[in-house]
Amino acid sequence: MNKKDSKYFHAIQILEDNCTGCTACVRVCPTEAIRVRDRKATIDPNRCVDCGNCVTVCEFHAIIPSSDPLDIIKNFKYRVAIISSSFFGQFSEDISYANAKQAVLQLGFDEVAEEAMVTDFMISVIREYIRENRDKRPILSSNCPAVVRLIQVKYPSLLPNLFHHEAPMSILTRFLRDRISKESNLNDDEIGIFLIVPCVAHVTAVHQPEGAYKHLQDGAFSTGMIYGKVREIIKSVQNNPIEIDTYPQGLTWALSGVQAELVDTDDIRALSVNGTDNVMDILSRVEDHYLDQYDYIVLRSCTNGCVGGCLNVENPFVAMSRIKKMSKDADNKIIHVEELERLYEAGEFAVTPLAPRPIMELDKDIKKAIQKMKKINEFLTMLPGLNCSACGSPTCYALAEDIVLGKASLDDCVVLKRNKPGDEDED
Amino acid sequence: MAEYWYIAEGFEEKVQSFLTNNGESEVDMMFTVPEKDFNTAGKGSSEVKNLLKRLGVESGVLRRIAVASYEAEINVAAHSQGGVMHSAVFDDLIHVRFEDEGPGIGDIEQAMVPGFSTADDLVRELGFGAGLGLPNIKKNSDAMHIVSEKGSSTLVEFIIFFA
Repeated sequence: MNKKDSKYFHAIQILEDNCTGCTACVRVCPTEAIRVRDRKATIDPNRCVDCGNCVTVCEFHAIIPSSDPLDIIKNFKYRVAIISSSFFGQFSEDISYANAKQAVLQLGFDEVAEEAMVTDFMISVIREYIRENRDKRPILSSNCPAVVRLIQVKYPSLLPNLFHHEAPMSILTRFLRDRISKESNLNDDEIGIFLIVPCVAHVTAVHQPEGAYKHLQDGAFSTGMIYGKVREIIKSVQNNPIEIDTYPQGLTWALSGVQAELVDTDDIRALSVNGTDNVMDILSRVEDHYLDQYDYIVLRSCTNGCVGGCLNVENPFVAMSRIKKMSKDADNKIIHVEELERLYEAGEFAVTPLAPRPIMELDKDIKKAIQKMKKINEFLTMLPGLNCSACGSPTCYALAEDIVLGKASLDDCVVLKRNKPGDEDED
Repeated sequence: MAEYWYIAEGFEEKVQSFLTNNGESEVDMMFTVPEKDFNTAGKGSSEVKNLLKRLGVESGVLRRIAVASYEAEINVAAHSQGGVMHSAVFDDLIHVRFEDEGPGIGDIEQAMVPGFSTADDLVRELGFGAGLGLPNIKKNSDAMHIVSEKGSSTLVEFIIFFA
């Protein structure tokens, strides 16, 4: 995992040998963090928000997600898995929710918990927060770590609008750790709590907790990896089923639209948005005060919400349909939330405001920034304006900016080079 | 031509000195705003916002500029026969000018009353024309100037200081 050159952890890795320099990743990056130079892609760790778009778009298996190997659970005496709500949408209908959950347990855990257990509780906390913070409109959801980082990087003026309580899986971590240490004689470091997550942003949230993910877990496993291991043992599980609690209603948390529907009520108007481009468009409008009529906006970076995460195996629309079906078919196990409410009342789930990560500024000094902008505009007039990204920067503007910041030269422009008379490279 | 001036309290001297100095701007941006084209309207102000983010303009100021220029741009698209948006960035301020092809504002004072609107049905159908445009620009600007007359073109310009 990428730890060098930056204070920021990222769960995305580049395998140089596989990279062909095709620039597909360069074009889908929402923060223009990727450049191809000498036919190899590099990611600027200060700009990366772990959205996973580059992982999804790379055809050459050159940008790969990192997550933890399952073996690490062996370092702990008591092992708990917390399953993200999108997980059960991955399985075809011949594998039941209960069987799949039992299989996860049998991968070596002592206990399996689910994000879906606390989503009802979350909805009530969100509503209360919206009502208590009438001065801030709209309130923006904070459980998608990629969205939160995108706001830190590109829309820092919206940081105060974020919902300032922990995300469901973080709350569960705190709750379970408390309960387990009370019930057993185990030390904190003997209890291992792991998340099974749908995206790289959640892996990053586990390894660099902040904001809505302040409670430290001991590792993050990819949905895809766990899915594979569950498939290996599912037959034996199906032949020897045990009784296991399920929370089908809570699974809808994984769907971007449903959270908004659940929060929406007489005095709260909610909007839901998913997909990086839509999220950016909406954030820009919020910045312009054009969506102040909404009380709450649910923002998810992936298509359809967490079911669209790049660590999933199933198509986001199929997974969504399955989860909707499951939530209609069955009843939730009643969950007792008194202990959660006690922790909430004690302020345990509140989070401190996040600091901006401004990367857009050309210079700290506005006068110098203006001079750089003038130079950028000068270079821009020399460039062809095709935005072809063949140079390895996403647009002609980005190349002009890279030139001014000393990270590239005009020679990087393939089109200019081709048209230059007498150039050696010309055919 | 009728004329309307607004200068926020405490900014009289700064605005005066800007107008008399007639200095050259550092960075300029031009956008055309076609009539009733609500798909592209807003693009100019969005680009200006991106530019100002690059320059590191403080986020509160940035949001005021974004609101004022978006309002004005939508106004040109909704109420005029099309026009141009010209943004000039100086060391310490932004000056944004909107010039359209008419049909002009009959009564500027009335147009400055919150809630007053002459928007036609198409514009209202698209969700615009609630009549907050001009007062909202004024609210977010340090100085605002309108020159217009019925049957003629309209100039709306505003100045917002960075600090």
